[in-house]
Amino acid sequence: MYEFLTNTWLLWLLSTSAALLWWRSRVSQLFRYIYHRYLLALGTLMLVSAIVFSLMEVLPGDCAEKMIAYKNTQGEVITQAQIDAERARMGLDRPLAVRWADWVSDLTLKGDLGFSCSKRQSVNAALGDRFWISFGFCIAGLLFAYLIAVPFGILSAWSLNKPWLDRKAHHAPARRLRNSLGLALSKCMDLQLRLISYLGLALPNFLLALSIILLYVFAGEPTPTGLFSEQWQGQPWFAASGFQWGKLQDFLGHIWLPILVIGWAATALQLQTVRALVVDESNKLYVEAARARGIDGVRLWARYPVKHSISPLFNSVGFDFQRIFNDLPIVAVVIGLTDAAALLIEALAMTNDQELAAGILFLVALAVISMNFITDVVLAIVDPRVRNSVMQGGGH
Amino acid sequence: MISLISRLHRRGQDRSEQYFTAGQFALIRARFLRNTTGVIAGTLLSALVLIGFFAPFFSPNAPGIEGANPDYRRGAPQAVRFCDANGCSLRPFTYTYVRETPKLDLSSLAGGDLSALDALTASGGLNASAQSRYVEQTDQRRYLQFWVSGWEYSLFSIDWLGIDIRSDIHLFGVEQGQIHLFGTDEDGKDVFSRTLHAIWVTISIAVVALIVKLITSLLVGGISGYFGGRVDAVLMAITEAVRVIPPIPIYLACAVALSQIELTPVQRYFAIAVMIGALDFTTLGRRLRTHILTERNQDYVLAARLSGASTGRIIWRHLVPSFSSYIIVDTLINFPYVILAETSLSFLGLGLTEPVNSLGVLLQKAQDPDIQQNMVWQFAPVGVFVLLIMAFVFVGDALRDAADPYSERRR
Amino acid sequence: MSLPEMFSEPLLEIRDLSIDFHTPEGHHRAVDGLNLNLQPGEVMGLVGESGSGKSISAKSIMRMLPSNAELTPQSRIRLHTGKHWVNVNALHGRDLRLVRGGQVSMIFQEPMASFAPAIRVGDQVVETIQLHTGADYASARRQGIELFDRVGIRQPEKRFDQYVFELSGGMRQRAMIALALSTRPRLLIADEPTTALDVTVQAQVLELMLELREQFGMAMLFITHDLGVISRIADNLTVMQQGRVVESGSCNKVLFAPEHDYTRRLLDALPQLDNLPPAPAKTPAPLVSIRDLSIRYPASGPGQQPFQAVSGIDLDLPAGQIIGLVGESGSGKTSLGKALLGAAPISQGEVCYRFDSPLTLSAGRRVRRKPLARMAQLVFQDPYSSLNPRMTVRDIIAEPLLALGLCRNKAEVDQRVLEVARRCHLDVTHLRRFPHAFSGGQRQRISIARALVVNPRFIVADEAVAALDVSIQADILALLKSLRDEMGLTILFISHDLSVVANLCDHVCVMQHGQLVEQGSVRDIFLNPQQAYTRTLIGAIPTLQPPAERALPVAIEVSPRA
Repeated sequence: MYEFLTNTWLLWLLSTSAALLWWRSRVSQLFRYIYHRYLLALGTLMLVSAIVFSLMEVLPGDCAEKMIAYKNTQGEVITQAQIDAERARMGLDRPLAVRWADWVSDLTLKGDLGFSCSKRQSVNAALGDRFWISFGFCIAGLLFAYLIAVPFGILSAWSLNKPWLDRKAHHAPARRLRNSLGLALSKCMDLQLRLISYLGLALPNFLLALSIILLYVFAGEPTPTGLFSEQWQGQPWFAASGFQWGKLQDFLGHIWLPILVIGWAATALQLQTVRALVVDESNKLYVEAARARGIDGVRLWARYPVKHSISPLFNSVGFDFQRIFNDLPIVAVVIGLTDAAALLIEALAMTNDQELAAGILFLVALAVISMNFITDVVLAIVDPRVRNSVMQGGGH
Repeated sequence: MISLISRLHRRGQDRSEQYFTAGQFALIRARFLRNTTGVIAGTLLSALVLIGFFAPFFSPNAPGIEGANPDYRRGAPQAVRFCDANGCSLRPFTYTYVRETPKLDLSSLAGGDLSALDALTASGGLNASAQSRYVEQTDQRRYLQFWVSGWEYSLFSIDWLGIDIRSDIHLFGVEQGQIHLFGTDEDGKDVFSRTLHAIWVTISIAVVALIVKLITSLLVGGISGYFGGRVDAVLMAITEAVRVIPPIPIYLACAVALSQIELTPVQRYFAIAVMIGALDFTTLGRRLRTHILTERNQDYVLAARLSGASTGRIIWRHLVPSFSSYIIVDTLINFPYVILAETSLSFLGLGLTEPVNSLGVLLQKAQDPDIQQNMVWQFAPVGVFVLLIMAFVFVGDALRDAADPYSERRR
Repeated sequence: MSLPEMFSEPLLEIRDLSIDFHTPEGHHRAVDGLNLNLQPGEVMGLVGESGSGKSISAKSIMRMLPSNAELTPQSRIRLHTGKHWVNVNALHGRDLRLVRGGQVSMIFQEPMASFAPAIRVGDQVVETIQLHTGADYASARRQGIELFDRVGIRQPEKRFDQYVFELSGGMRQRAMIALALSTRPRLLIADEPTTALDVTVQAQVLELMLELREQFGMAMLFITHDLGVISRIADNLTVMQQGRVVESGSCNKVLFAPEHDYTRRLLDALPQLDNLPPAPAKTPAPLVSIRDLSIRYPASGPGQQPFQAVSGIDLDLPAGQIIGLVGESGSGKTSLGKALLGAAPISQGEVCYRFDSPLTLSAGRRVRRKPLARMAQLVFQDPYSSLNPRMTVRDIIAEPLLALGLCRNKAEVDQRVLEVARRCHLDVTHLRRFPHAFSGGQRQRISIARALVVNPRFIVADEAVAALDVSIQADILALLKSLRDEMGLTILFISHDLSVVANLCDHVCVMQHGQLVEQGSVRDIFLNPQQAYTRTLIGAIPTLQPPAERALPVAIEVSPRA
């Protein structure tokens, strides 16, 4: 019994939550929407797993060959028959659809991502917490991008339709000068920031990482590659003397580089998005109506166009995450990280380890889909506009 | 075209009539030209594209191994000067260079002392960069010449039409020897010429990829948007699933698969472009679908339907023109992303490879510690690359602002 | 009815107001030398059509000009705060609040768009009260709810905490009014406050504004294009045309003894209920018969209900007449019009055309598009979205000819297009232009020309003049009449505007909630309505009020703030 439960725990979890949502959905329109969204997310996940799994078929070689090749290095002589036998033993001779069904059922029953041939251990074990490291990097990069893009995107939107100089004839000359200075300053800021953020896009991130490392080389300092320097590599976080602050410091001294590199590239896109969203909102009539009521300055911008453009921005978090993870593998190679992204490159380009690569890609997709699900649900609860359209009917 | 717009801007009387008879592209152009950064970036971009397209004319040396300068391997960039200690000249010039034979003290080796050999190796005297050190002969000027004839190239050729205009005229060269503005690489190939040639290769690969992307997007978006219902649901579910998977790993997997197949460099080049384009249909496809869904319900489409227009006529005469401008703008905005995808692949050695001359291939060299330390000039393509991408991004930005000429004209 | 003499100081004084617009197409002067005086408690009607500069003048009082507009240096706007004069043009920073909400506030045309969608309506009211009076939240909220109650919103506490899309159209405009009144302004600018509303709601809102004017005693600048509306509320009128004042004076003088041609044109557009055409001796044979027609739109998504727009309508449309189809928004009149042309899903019943070769539309049968398009055409409501912006006018008009393959060659098409363009009074030299070069009225002519180019016998005009200015409406209506008289065209004219219907139609049908309420000749319906709903509709028409019937001079009470 216990074994049965441990072997099927994920399925129970998934179906229980589905049942709970369904039960609530009979009385509440909101839960009805969440339930539909939940089923949709599960369906998309199935599709993703199928796509990822069949895509990995294009990688040359299979597990049997690798196993045998490994034995070969041990000095045994291998025949084609042996390879075929190994293939049959591992079930690799079955059609793609059957193997996929096998993989997916293991996945949905107990969250088992399969077996990595090159690592000769299960994918779950091979990944360990490396996936969480990558996840952390992406989130940090995302935060970095938002921190820069949101305020300056708003500034950019604000100064978009402003002139460089104040030419209003009925303003006193002193005021015109002051206004002109302010306008020109904000225009310059905007232009400069756009230039810098676009530079993040134009400099391929591997080049950026390389050049920063080169600077360290030229300066004769130790390069901040990897996660820790050698000194702290093997040390535990908690030693006899309590928490190792030195290790934390060392850690922070290393992770800023990948975060900066991937965050910078994402900033340009975010800046454009924020700018477009805020410009869109600020042209709406309700902003003018608010201005006509005497609301002005920061208060006007913060409460009206900015507040109203947060939801669509928040809604895109999932795909922003995907875009950032997209950049991570190459950066990981350059910087010498050992996270899931680096493992992905290794599995794809060097060891051709299908199940490992499929597992990592699936996890990323899972993260994106869950984020989309969460943002949709949160928006349906928080944003009255979304809630209204949800309440109107199943609305997708 | 440009003159049309300037007339549209300046003249009072017939200006209004020109505005009234201006179609959507003329309106977009007029709005684009009001954006200063956009115009500057646009000029730069057209200059780069032009230089890229006529790269053989602008480059003094052949980019391949046939144009390599065996007498100037690993050579530093040659500065072009107007003045030096011997006075000034109106014609720019460079200097003659001589290879400096390193004076190795081989006498100590005579005794067969191994430690002496070690010391020699450690001193770096034997490595390639020390072996090729060049000294400028400041008393021997080489004057720059313009409109010189040199190696023959084909200026413009369309194979299947049998058109091939050949020429051997180059914009500039030097009296004797060769000129290397960006220096040379380890084979003596001219970095400047390679960079110019790479621009066009990179742009053309992006063009191929974007065309393929356009076709797939149009197929997916068009079918989904026009038929709606179940077809739409299935197609959108697949699109959604593809959309959540990060694309570069997918490209990688496909590139690895491609590397298993025997391909000529040209075939490989096309295969990669097609692959990048074909997998990138999600965003544009979805947008086209939404666009068609909304546009389909516009009054003017209903008007066409009630006028008795057939489905084909509605699509061709009314729907396609309505998103053509949008497609063009979107394509331009996506140029940098496609170029970046290509460079990322090349950087990992899975995209284009050496004999082909793309910016990605040139950037790949940045990984090489030898180049990082001894041939910094090989980083010059990076500058050109950044310039190209920035130009594209700024032009895309300005176009995006100018794109929908009918949005603000209500009332 | 002179204004009380005790107010020696006017409230607002505008002198030589001129506003220039800088557009990519060049400079143009939107307002030219406007002079205007407003006494405390006075209601000034500012009348004009789109482009006359009335809204932009009002916005300049609040210093809300768009960034590409500029005041000329000699423009003067002064506001008397009750203690001293303020030069509005010299205000800046915090002081601007005096004219933005403090002493002056504004009601916008579209209440839906003027409330922020993601902030509770009440919070926007509280924010405004707090900003101007410095009251604490609780008392601001109390004031707000009291105001909601006062403007006739039922369950004010509940409504106060709702979002704008949860309120009905009339309620939104009431909330907008409450918001504008929340700071106790001395001047209320109302920019077409009733235009976007249904007739019956419009009447209620107008009633409310009259009441509030009596209670609060603030001055009002009431901007509208509708002389019927303004005659009920204003003391004085200023009529503007293309940025200039053409006539001004007391309401009675301007409305009943107009001096300027333009004012007379505006007045002519009002319904003359005492001058309706007599019913034709015998009703002509029907061209279109509608039998037991129901229209049901399928559900647009999972979990949604199908929408029944029209149920069981029987109707005959007499040939050679203009038939008015009247109803408020949501009554199903547009669906009915579209169903006649095969553009809405018929779920039951049929439509029979008595053309030379009869044609029937019914549920489940495929529409024979081409023969139908040859005979029946549609003129759209929105002259902007119904013309493909990417085609020249010539191509737009020629489209039905080409689509139906009615012409053998290009010369014949051009010939036909020229003919129709002249018929619709379009300048034929403009045929090469794109739609963006034309004003709303001209666009509607293009739309009519497109409908006429195939020589149809039946036209559905769906709110064809609703988006147009009054004087342009008159031109289009005259064009429609001449088409009926000269070409024997049958026109189904769908409208929510009873004044237009009264002036144009021969036969009127009234719809409510997808059902036909009443039909008959214009005279019958307007002078002798049988159904209660029809009576309400007709009672709500904003007709010109003769001086005797106007409300007695309002006793102006100084607002409590003084």
